Amino acid sequence: MDFAYTPQQEALRREVQQFIKENVTADVAEETNPESAMDRPRGQGPKAAALYKKIYERGWLGITYPKEYGGQGGDRLTQYIVEEEFTRVGIPVHLGGSGAPAIMAAGTEEQKQYYIPGLIKREISFCLGFTEPHAGADLANLRCSAVRDGDYYVINGQKMYTSAAHFSTHIYLMARTDRNAPKHEGISIFLFPMDTPGITVRPLWTIQNNPTAPDGTTYGNARTNETFFDDVRIPKSCLLGEENKGWRVGSMGLNLDRVGASRYLISVRRDEDIVNWVKSNSFNGFSPGKDPAIRDKIAELWIEAQVCRLMTMRSMSIVERGGKFSYEGSAEKVWAPEHGVRVTEAITQMLGPYGTLLRTSPHAIQDGVFGHNVMGSFQSGINHGSVQVMRDQVARRGLGLPSSRKSRRAEG
Amino acid sequence: MDVLLNDDERMIEESAREFLDGECSPKLVREMEEDPIGISRPLWEKAAELGWQGMCLPEKVGGSNMPLVFLGLVLREAGRALAPIPLHCTAVAALAIAHDGSEAQQQKYLPDVVTGKSVLTWAFTEKDPRFIAEAVHMTAREKGDNFVLNGSKLFVDSFLGADHCLVVARTTPRSKGGNGLSLFVVDAKSKGISHKTLITLAKDKQCQVDFKNVQVPKANVIGPVGGGWPIVERMLDRGAALLCAQMLGAARKDIEMAIEYAKFREAFGQPIGAFQSLQHNCADMQIWIDGGDLLTFEALWKLDQGQPASVEVSQAKSFCNEKCEAAVRQSQAIHGGIGFMMEFDLQLWFRRVSAWTMRMGTTYEHRARIARALIDVPGEVVLGRPLPAVLENAGAAVANA
Repeated sequence: MDFAYTPQQEALRREVQQFIKENVTADVAEETNPESAMDRPRGQGPKAAALYKKIYERGWLGITYPKEYGGQGGDRLTQYIVEEEFTRVGIPVHLGGSGAPAIMAAGTEEQKQYYIPGLIKREISFCLGFTEPHAGADLANLRCSAVRDGDYYVINGQKMYTSAAHFSTHIYLMARTDRNAPKHEGISIFLFPMDTPGITVRPLWTIQNNPTAPDGTTYGNARTNETFFDDVRIPKSCLLGEENKGWRVGSMGLNLDRVGASRYLISVRRDEDIVNWVKSNSFNGFSPGKDPAIRDKIAELWIEAQVCRLMTMRSMSIVERGGKFSYEGSAEKVWAPEHGVRVTEAITQMLGPYGTLLRTSPHAIQDGVFGHNVMGSFQSGINHGSVQVMRDQVARRGLGLPSSRKSRRAEG
Repeated sequence: MDVLLNDDERMIEESAREFLDGECSPKLVREMEEDPIGISRPLWEKAAELGWQGMCLPEKVGGSNMPLVFLGLVLREAGRALAPIPLHCTAVAALAIAHDGSEAQQQKYLPDVVTGKSVLTWAFTEKDPRFIAEAVHMTAREKGDNFVLNGSKLFVDSFLGADHCLVVARTTPRSKGGNGLSLFVVDAKSKGISHKTLITLAKDKQCQVDFKNVQVPKANVIGPVGGGWPIVERMLDRGAALLCAQMLGAARKDIEMAIEYAKFREAFGQPIGAFQSLQHNCADMQIWIDGGDLLTFEALWKLDQGQPASVEVSQAKSFCNEKCEAAVRQSQAIHGGIGFMMEFDLQLWFRRVSAWTMRMGTTYEHRARIARALIDVPGEVVLGRPLPAVLENAGAAVANA
C-alpha cells in the first residue's frame, strides 16, 4: 500500500498549477464562462483553442493513449493529476465520454488513426447517441435502427439527451441492426460526422437555464438536445467493432468513463466550498461554522468525500496494475454521486434561504453554486448508469448474488 | 499511489487467515465468552510463534520492526475470526512503550511481549468517557521513589489476563490546567488494585479497576512527568486506527455470512438474494466496509510515515462506527429470526462489532476533532491535499480561544 504521490508526481502537479496560473487568464475564462459557452463547448473559442494547443504541446492531452495515436503513452495517475488541476479551473482535458476508450478497444486501425489524434487535440468531438424516449436505464431496449443497404447503413430514429450535439463534429451512435435478435445482441455502434444529411438537432433546455449555472456546478449544463435521424446514409466503414456486438463495445467505453478526476470532482467540490465558506463568513454575527450541528455535519460529509477520493484511487490502482474491475467502478459510481446529493442537500440546510439563490441574484453566495447544485447533483446518480443499476452490478458481479426470476425470464 | 495490497501485505493477510481458520473456531470464541478471564492462552502463544505481538516492536527487543499497516492486516484477520486474544490492548500499550519509553523500560517489558509470555493493557477512561485530558481525574502523587496512584479506571480491556497496565494519571492538579498527565507502567497485581468485571455486549471481560494508594516506582513513568498527554494522544490514535482494522475484519466476515445466507435461503420461490431490495442492501454493505478499509489503512499508512494522521484516524473511526454497525445490523435483518438466536454464530460477530464501535471515540467526538481541523484553522482546504495545519495546532488554537 502506498497512499502518497511520488515526488515526480508532486512536481508535475505544481507544474500544472503554474501553467494554469500563467495561461488560464481572464480572457480565456471569458470564453469558458457559462453565458458565452452556450453555443459551443466550454473552452473552445479561439483563445481557448490556443490554450488547448499549448496544453497539448506540454504533453498533457491524451496522456494515457499510445504515442502512435497522438497520445503520450503515460500512466493513469499522471492523467489523474493533470485532469484534477484543469477540472478545478473549468478546462476539461480528459477523454471521458468521448468514445475514445471504446475506439481504442474495438476500432479498426484506420478508425484509431483517424479519430484518436483528433479527439486528443480536441479537433474532433463526439456527442453520445445512446438514450431514447423509451430506452433510458434499460438502454438495450433502444429502437433507433441502422439498416444495411449495400455499402451503406441507413439510420432512422431519435436520440435523447445528446448533450453537445449542437457543436460536436461527430456522433457516437448506438443503433439496432437486428430486430429479431435478443435485445442485447442486435445492437451496433456507428461513428459519423454530424453534418451528414438527415440529422436534425433540437435543443432541450434544462432546469439550469436562465440563469445559467456557474462553473463547477454539478450537472450545470443549460442545454442538451434531442437528435433526429431521417434516412441518414453512412458508409459501412462507420461501424465500430462488429455488427450486432455493439452492446459489449458500448459498455467498455462506459466502464472507463465512470472513474477519474472529473467524475470524482463533480461529487466533492461542494465539500471544499462549504468548509472554505464557513471559515470566513457569517450572517450579521451568526457564524454557521461555530454551530455544533453544522460542524458535525460538515465533518461527516468531509469523511464521505475522502471515501470518494480513496475509491477513485482504488480504481486508479486497479487500472494501473492492468486489472479489471469486478465491482469497484460501480461501487464508486454509487457512493460518489449519492455523496454529492447528500452534501448538496446538507448545505441547503446550513444556508437556509440563501441556498435558494441562483447566479446573478442579489445576495447569492458563491455565484449561486449551492442553489444550482440542488438542481444538478442528483443527475450524476442518473447519468452514465444509474445508482440502482450500479448497485445491481455490485450485487451480482461483485457479490455473486443471483438474478431474480423475473429478470432471468426477461434476459431469457 | 497504490491503495491495493502489495505481495508482502497479501502474504501477511493470507497466512494470518489460514492460521486462524485452523486455530480459532466459533466454538473457541464461545468457550472464551464463558471463561472468567476470556483469553485463549494457547492461541496467544501460537500467535507469538508467528511473531504477531512483536510485529511492530524494535528488533533489539526481539521484534520485527514492521510497519503498523502489517499489524493492521493481522488485527483485521483477528477481528474476522473474533480471536479471543488480547492482541489489540497489548499492542496499544507495547507500542507506546516502544515509541516513548526509555531504553531500560523497553528492555524490561517488551521482550516478554514478543515471546507471548506477557499480556499488556492500558487504562485511560474514567467516569467521563471522552478521550480528552480533562477526563482524567485519577491522581499520582510523588512520594519518595514512588508515585502513589488513587482513582478508578473503567472499560479496561483484558485486565484479568494482563501482567502490566499502562495507566494514565494526573501529576499536575486540574486547577493548574488540564494537560498535566503522566503514564505509568503498573504491575497488574500491585497491592491496592482491585477490580470489578463489567458485563458487556461483547462479553469481553472489560473491567473497572480501582487504585487505592498503589505504589508505582518512578522508574515506571513513560516519558516526562506531566508531559504524558501527547504520548497518550499518539497511543489513542494508533489504538483507534488498529481497532478500526479489527472491527472491519469482523464486519466483513459478518456481511459475507449474510450474503452467503441470501444465496441459498429461499422465500417466495427464489433465493432471497435474488430480490433486488436485498441486493441493493448488500451492495451498500460492501461499499461501506470497503470505504472503512480505505480510510483505516490510509490512517495506518500515514502513522507509519510519521505524518500527522489524527484527522485520518478520526475519519476512519467515525465512519467505521456508523457503517460497521449499520452493516452488521443489516446482516441480522437478512438472517431474520435465526440471527437473533444464541445458537446461531452470526450474533458473535454482531455483538462484538457493535461493542467496538463504541470504544475509543464516538462518532461525534471524532467528527468534532475533524471539524476543528477543517474549520478553526485559517487557510483554504483542498481535498486530497494536506490541511492547512495539523490537528495538534488546531487543538491548541481551540484550547487558547
